[in-house]
Amino acid sequence: MPEGRYLKDKSWLYVPFFGALLVIAAVILLLPYETVYVRDEAYLDFFLVTMVLCVATFFIGTLYNVLIWMHGKGLTGSPEGRLLRVTGKALRFVFSGRLVKSLAVFFRDALYLSRLKDRSATRWLMHLLVLGGFAIMFLLDLVVTFALDFLRYEPMMSEDGWAKLWLRDFGFDLVGAMMLAGLSVAAVRRFALRPKIVRTELPDAASILFLFAVVLGGFVLEGMGIAGGIPGHTENVEYSFLGYAFSLVTPESAGDYYDAAWLVHGVMSALLIAYIPFSKLFHMIATPIAIEVDEMMSREVKGE
Amino acid sequence: MKKLDISKLDVLALMRYDACTRCGECTTTCPTGGEAQEVELVTPRGKILRLREFYKSQYGLRARLLGPKEVPEADLKDLASRAYECTICGQCKTVCPAHLDTIEMWENMREFLVENKLAPLPAHESIIKSIENYDNPWMQPRTQRSRWARKIEKDAGIKDALKEQVEVLYFVGCTAAYDPNIRDMAVNTAKVLGKAGVDFGTLGNDEGCCGSTLLRTGLVESARKTALRNIERFEKASPSVIVTSCAGCYKTIRQDYPRIGKVDAKVVHITQLVSEMIVSGKIKPGKGVEGKVTFHDPCHLGRHNKLYEEPRKILESIPGLELVEMERNREEARCCGAGGGVKTAFPDLAQRISALRVEDAERSGADILTTSCPFCYQSLKATIEAKGSRLRMMDIMELVAAST
Repeated sequence: MPEGRYLKDKSWLYVPFFGALLVIAAVILLLPYETVYVRDEAYLDFFLVTMVLCVATFFIGTLYNVLIWMHGKGLTGSPEGRLLRVTGKALRFVFSGRLVKSLAVFFRDALYLSRLKDRSATRWLMHLLVLGGFAIMFLLDLVVTFALDFLRYEPMMSEDGWAKLWLRDFGFDLVGAMMLAGLSVAAVRRFALRPKIVRTELPDAASILFLFAVVLGGFVLEGMGIAGGIPGHTENVEYSFLGYAFSLVTPESAGDYYDAAWLVHGVMSALLIAYIPFSKLFHMIATPIAIEVDEMMSREVKGE
Repeated sequence: MKKLDISKLDVLALMRYDACTRCGECTTTCPTGGEAQEVELVTPRGKILRLREFYKSQYGLRARLLGPKEVPEADLKDLASRAYECTICGQCKTVCPAHLDTIEMWENMREFLVENKLAPLPAHESIIKSIENYDNPWMQPRTQRSRWARKIEKDAGIKDALKEQVEVLYFVGCTAAYDPNIRDMAVNTAKVLGKAGVDFGTLGNDEGCCGSTLLRTGLVESARKTALRNIERFEKASPSVIVTSCAGCYKTIRQDYPRIGKVDAKVVHITQLVSEMIVSGKIKPGKGVEGKVTFHDPCHLGRHNKLYEEPRKILESIPGLELVEMERNREEARCCGAGGGVKTAFPDLAQRISALRVEDAERSGADILTTSCPFCYQSLKATIEAKGSRLRMMDIMELVAAST
């Protein structure tokens, strides 16, 4: 039987949660997207609606995964009530003096993967390229979107602006290349070399192929844009070094299919986001949290 | 339909199940799932993925939308049995790139299995009943617990800690107290303490099982009762220090008891105490003990408690002894195969793991294999004898006693 506060806990959790989702959806749908190169507006609209649905799926999937954690021993009350209390504690922690220490732990163990480095340099580098590439791409995406659509920062918008050349063109290609290199090593290791410790089941294959297809698709799309002379892909193209390399082997006529390819790439990227909570990729979220909580608990035990 | 109750899985454990990256780093060094037999379900990754699959099918988003899925009883029983093939050695914790505290996870997984009526295994039941009824896992009467001390009681100056105030309480542990082949471990420990002039005593026949076996097999409630009885006796004896010669008792009293009740005394392992006394000059190893010795790090002492250097300092202080290391030592040390209830339920598997460790020792060039845990001692000694190895198994206190 649900406990006394069950409905109250639920409304306290779900009302702000879905409120936040609505705000995110509104932001996604209402941004001007003046610098998006797709020519057919219907494609853009379709992509945006897909993105909203996928982001919502990501958040709901993540919420339900976290609610499973909250069924466990060590806390009291309904799972929703527990989550609210834990969230409160986490926020207090973020604003406490221990944040710097926690960030150090996060960078050392969750991002830099200190322990893996000592055991296998190849796997460490492979994982660092994928994870580092993904993390920087996410940050770059936020910075670029904010600069373009909120600040309307001229050097980010104009064809020869420093920010356009170094962040939008070179920056994205660099982090994309990092991911592509890491994913290539992972794919060769998993599908060709097959070392004893690797066990490939559908979720493993799906995650790696999905990521690979999205990253590679981005470069193919850029190559099509440059080869086909699509606006935004005509000047200083060598800054997008990998896209430019792809354009050299792409026929000019590929530009005719640019919009369709753009949509495919966009929808796949959105689906990848939705897929995260239901796949092994969820460890991107769970592992840093587990590392931080473990570290926090051990410091509490030591009385620090 | 079997509805799984996940309320006995720790919040942290549930988080850690999702944090597993499926990388497989744990599978090669796992003594039970990777080295002695290649069974994925026994490996840490195998157990995590299977259990996660089971509970997600009943608690995940899909289960909320479309209803929970039935988990076949046979699959659950298979997982339960495989989960008990783990020695909880903690090698996986050492290698996990995601820093998962797997030791806590496996113990908690067993608690969950017991709660869901999938465990304990039939092989463990007699031990559990024995602890609950006789206060020891060997079905021996309580009145025989202090028998080991009869011949040396006066010489070593062993006091009854419940009748006289003592500074140090020696917690003997069931295996050293009852097993005639291990009894010398308790005798030598008492001799060493006596020679050093330590004011010490034991709980005699009132000492109860520490509860380690119960905790490692997932019977947390039963272990709690056992622990509380001992804590009550500790309070009555009120020593400053509790010393154990058993690595399992040490882990249990030091790490698990504080979660159950208050232990005021400082809890140390005999190797810590003796090492300190060698440094302070209270113990002076003088007589030579000739030979090449290698030390096997018990999991409960090493990986579980990070106690690696004290035993080595003791061995290095004994004249004539040359300490050589096995290739896998300290954090990377192989398990002896006896822990986690494996020796009781899967003796063949335990022996296969133990044989790997004896081979490690043979390769080191040592002629003496020593350790500081009665279970490791028992397991490795049996394998040395079965293999006809040239190695001589000795408890570390036997070496100290021979040198002082």
